[in-house]
Parts: sequence; structure tokens; C-alpha cells
Amino acid sequence: MRHHLIPRVVAKLLIPFILMFGLYVQFHGDYGPGGGFQAGVIFASGFILYGLIFGLEAARRIVPSNLVAFCIAAGVIIYAGVGFLGLALGGNYLDYNVLGHDPVHGQHRGIFWVELGVGLTVAATMVKVFYMFAGRGRL
Amino acid sequence: MEALGLYNYWVFIILMMVGFYVVVARGNLVKKIVGLNIFQTSVFLFYISMGKIFGGTAPILIADASETVVYSNPLPHVLILTAIVVGVATTALGLALVVRIKEAYGTCEEDEIHAMEEEP
Repeated sequence: MRHHLIPRVVAKLLIPFILMFGLYVQFHGDYGPGGGFQAGVIFASGFILYGLIFGLEAARRIVPSNLVAFCIAAGVIIYAGVGFLGLALGGNYLDYNVLGHDPVHGQHRGIFWVELGVGLTVAATMVKVFYMFAGRGRL
Repeated sequence: MEALGLYNYWVFIILMMVGFYVVVARGNLVKKIVGLNIFQTSVFLFYISMGKIFGGTAPILIADASETVVYSNPLPHVLILTAIVVGVATTALGLALVVRIKEAYGTCEEDEIHAMEEEP
């Protein structure tokens, strides 16, 4: 493919909208189709598109490998932390009802933070899988 | 005539057989994994088709509903969400194995790998 100009320009135009759409799907999980896993995959596909068009080193400069590894663990810790917060506030493990001043608000908060943890881990995992596959040729 | 209204299930059967044929009849390892994905997608379609109720809408709560709303069964949707995640992980693992096989044998074709294995 001799002409790299059109993919580069279109990618630079599209990637902010892809990331914004990923965030929209993440936070509208209880009002429409969406949630953590779908949002994580959409968010990661923005970074993967950048890595495909502009090269793996450019992608690694923006999102370094240890940041990706940190994000995978951070999402799991957020999920487990919400569970232990429920324990600390007097309920069972992962009991959402005690997280707010009434059960409905508690459910909203619990679902929000749990889905955030899931989305973070899934996005980081997809980017890590892309790095692992794409970085094999030269290593 | 009712058989034409059940086109969800006809599409499910066709997709499942297409995926099964690709897994069985093609020697390229990457094509086998793609066939497995098509098979998986057909099973998802089947489950969600079975979860639909006559006159039911998508199982997302409509906050201010003037009359009673009939929702489809949400349990198959949740199960299929989990199954999609499992499918993604399985595909990633399968492709990692194919990459390793390609590095070890130099080829992705199943019959060439068998031929290389049979030489003494």
C-alpha cells in the first residue's frame, strides 16, 4: 500500500470519536446496551487502531507496557475494593445496598464502580494482547 | 407458513452448519479458528431467539412507562454476554497457539505439519 496518507488522516479524525463512544457505552450500561466489557473492547480498539496505523513503537510510547500491566491489576483491585467496602460498611461482600444512603443509590454506585473496574481491565487486556501478538516479529 | 416466521432458527441452522463445515473441511489453522467463531455466533443467536417473548421488547427497564411493558427474558442475554467474553478469550488463546505453531513448524497448514511429524 503505497499511499499511507488516507489511513493516517482518517485514523487521526476517528480515534477521538472511538474513545468517546467507548466512554459513552461504559457509562450508559444501565440505560441501554453497554457495560464494562463492551466499553473496554471499544476503548481498546481506538488504541489498537493507532498502533496499526502509526506503528507499534508509537503506540508503546503513548501507552507503555508497564502502564498497561498496572491498569489490568487496577481494574481487578477496584472490583475487589467495592466488595470489601461493602464488608466495611456493615453488609455482605459485594453488597451494593449499604454503599449509599438508601439501597437504590447504593446499587447505582456499586454498579458504576464495578463496571469501571471491569472496563479498565478489559481495555488494558485487549491492548496487552495486541502488543504481545504484534511485537513477536522483531523480538 | 409458520415455518417462514421462524427464520431466526433457520439462520441459526445455516450458520452452525457453515461453521462446522469450515472447522472440519479446511486445513488452514486460522480458518479453523474462524469457523469455530461462526459456530459460536450461531449458538448465541439461538439462545437469544429462544429468550424472546411474544410482544416483548428488549429487557432494559423503561423508567416512565404509561402502561404495562412486556420485557423479553433477560436471563439468556446475560448468559450470552458471559459466553461472548469466554469466546474472545478462547479465540485469543487459539491464535496464540497458532502463532507458536507457525514459529515452530514454519507453516499454518495442517497436512504439512502432519507430513513434517511423520518423517523419521
